[in-house]
Amino acid sequence: MNLLFKLHQWFSFLGNYASYGIAYLIETIVVLAFVAISFIILIYVFRKYMARIQLRIGPNRVGKFGLLQLIADALKLMGKESILPKGRDDMAYKIAPIITMMSIMVSFIIIPYGGLYYFGNLTTTHSDITLILIFGILSIMPIGEVLGGISTRSNYAILGTLRGIAKDVSFEVPMLISVLAIVMVSSRSFVTGGSTYNSLSLAGIVTNEIIPYGIIEPLGLIVFFISMIARASYSPFDLSESDSELISGSTTEYGGMRFGLFYIGLFGMVYLGSFLVSLLYLGGYNGPVSSYFGFIFLLIKVIILVLIAFLIWLSLPRMRIDRFVQFGWKYLLPLAVINLIYAGFFVLYIR
Amino acid sequence: MPHYTELNIGPVHPSIHGIFNFKLILNEEIIQDVKVTLGFLHRNAEKLSELNLYADNIIFFDRMNYIDAMNMELCYLMSVEKITGIEPPERAQWIRMIMVELNRLAARLVGMGSLGLDLGMLTPFFHAFKEREKIQRIFTEASGGRQEVNYFSIGGVYQDFTEKIINDIRNFIDQFKKNLEDMYNMFIHSEIFWQRNQGIGIIEPELAFDYGVTGPAIRASGIPYDVRKDAPYLFYDKVNFDIPISHQKDNFGRFMIKVEEMRQSIRIIEQSLDKINDGPFFNPQGKKSLMLRIKGNGEAFSRVESDAGEFGVYVKGDNTTKPYRVHARSPGLRNLSLLPVISKGLMIADFIAVVGGLDPVVGEVDR
Repeated sequence: MNLLFKLHQWFSFLGNYASYGIAYLIETIVVLAFVAISFIILIYVFRKYMARIQLRIGPNRVGKFGLLQLIADALKLMGKESILPKGRDDMAYKIAPIITMMSIMVSFIIIPYGGLYYFGNLTTTHSDITLILIFGILSIMPIGEVLGGISTRSNYAILGTLRGIAKDVSFEVPMLISVLAIVMVSSRSFVTGGSTYNSLSLAGIVTNEIIPYGIIEPLGLIVFFISMIARASYSPFDLSESDSELISGSTTEYGGMRFGLFYIGLFGMVYLGSFLVSLLYLGGYNGPVSSYFGFIFLLIKVIILVLIAFLIWLSLPRMRIDRFVQFGWKYLLPLAVINLIYAGFFVLYIR
Repeated sequence: MPHYTELNIGPVHPSIHGIFNFKLILNEEIIQDVKVTLGFLHRNAEKLSELNLYADNIIFFDRMNYIDAMNMELCYLMSVEKITGIEPPERAQWIRMIMVELNRLAARLVGMGSLGLDLGMLTPFFHAFKEREKIQRIFTEASGGRQEVNYFSIGGVYQDFTEKIINDIRNFIDQFKKNLEDMYNMFIHSEIFWQRNQGIGIIEPELAFDYGVTGPAIRASGIPYDVRKDAPYLFYDKVNFDIPISHQKDNFGRFMIKVEEMRQSIRIIEQSLDKINDGPFFNPQGKKSLMLRIKGNGEAFSRVESDAGEFGVYVKGDNTTKPYRVHARSPGLRNLSLLPVISKGLMIADFIAVVGGLDPVVGEVDR
């Protein structure tokens, strides 16, 4: 019994279609509210964590233990005058941060969150092709960065955008190949040995994932995790930002809340990437005991992954763009292909 | 037809060490040409020195290489002491030597941390600055100033070393040895750091001679030139230390040289602390009541090994209380003028790393 049907039953006096619609809407709002709140906590944790690593104290002035610091920052960003560059392409300039932000938000609706004791299954989108859908939406996200970069006609932004495009091209192919290996492995059921019909949906993959695929395909886990770091573009792959060389890269000319939206996009991607890695490779909401609290298991995995991602962020220098492109094509892609071939052998012979 | 882009780095830029402007002529990411514009921080220090008393000029030198202030003061005072004939006593020399080496450590820490910052590595910067803060506490204890210390005076130092300061320095050195290795490992155990630094900004020895490059840059080209060994001042001939050289000629070599020199500085400080003797800490001829009447005659040039290289000060006196002419030889200017030569064909990211590796401090470049 999942949350959607429960809501549907409560609103059943409105008729079948209207109650489904309202139930879907409410659940979406609930999920997005959860994401927003956990996101604020995430950024707070990041800032404290970063401060501890760097021998600082971190936010401790606004609210108890600085908990309200992010809200204060958001209010400050909203209150700022938005300075528009002169030679801009107006439409592209204004729509770019919204594209980045929206693609992150929509991605969070697609993720299967697993069950939580009373509420049942929290998954919002019940579709057979959510895997394709989420990577389709994620490929919209770079469009926001590219538009934001080239619409301002700033040299820094254009150079940053060029780097960003080169980066995207070189890691997305290995990323999708490693996902393909997941689809291959999950297309045959562990329990019955027969083929499963919903191996293209995230929920179907996780249901079938009794042994985490990260144990079966460690290569794929590595490739996908690196790709997710590159997708979120933080150090060592923050090439489109490159704050010490190109000031702020593709977002140089943005100020105020427009910049804030890009910032949310970055942190949202760290969060979303951790969700995807834990869903596809670490068993998702499957845990050692019954999946009554699957949501909690998922969150624990995500938090550990986010902390690992932050540790990488804070301890490595930035790669040079030509090195990264070489890394993408000469190391990641062959590794991903080897992983794919291995997955094929695994499905045909070992199982 | 290649398409060229002009990119301004500076005067205000996140990774610029001070205020100067580079105009990069780019072919996509590759640098074709660099135009360096200096002079944004020109403060007329040399001319101002002619208008002030000998004792008042020390503060202008503090503000030249502001992260290596002790060395700047020392160099000026060595010249002034030559033309005024006021020799500092032995204890003052040892105190000066300890302070100068401590400040060298502080300056190297800044260089090390900001190189990490230039490469996109935030964390070592804060670790380096925490250590630097401890050195500055010692300076505050001794002189009252943190960065622009104004500690040395003509014929000695401003205040004597107390037992507390010596203990502070000993404690600092004891814990710093481990922290330095930790910081060093933070850099060196990262493959990306090697990739980013090896093979960029290569300075051939002939080129270094042509441009008058000194300091870690020339030692990384394989030439063991260090003023402390080649023309010893203070008591550098009475302590044991080595001049590290590297044959890598690139940014990585410069980094390794700087780290090794920090280890050697620790050796010098330890030996100096053992050898420091009791006695007066200033020459009575240069005491405070006489400071305004000090007259200099003749000319003198003295040089020290500062953070960026060989720093020299020329002072000429005409038997009045004010110098007739003061000139400073800045190592940072020589190192920076090499940039257009060594940075052709590099990428932007490498260029930033090369500038970070040369440690220019604009206060000293522009004066």
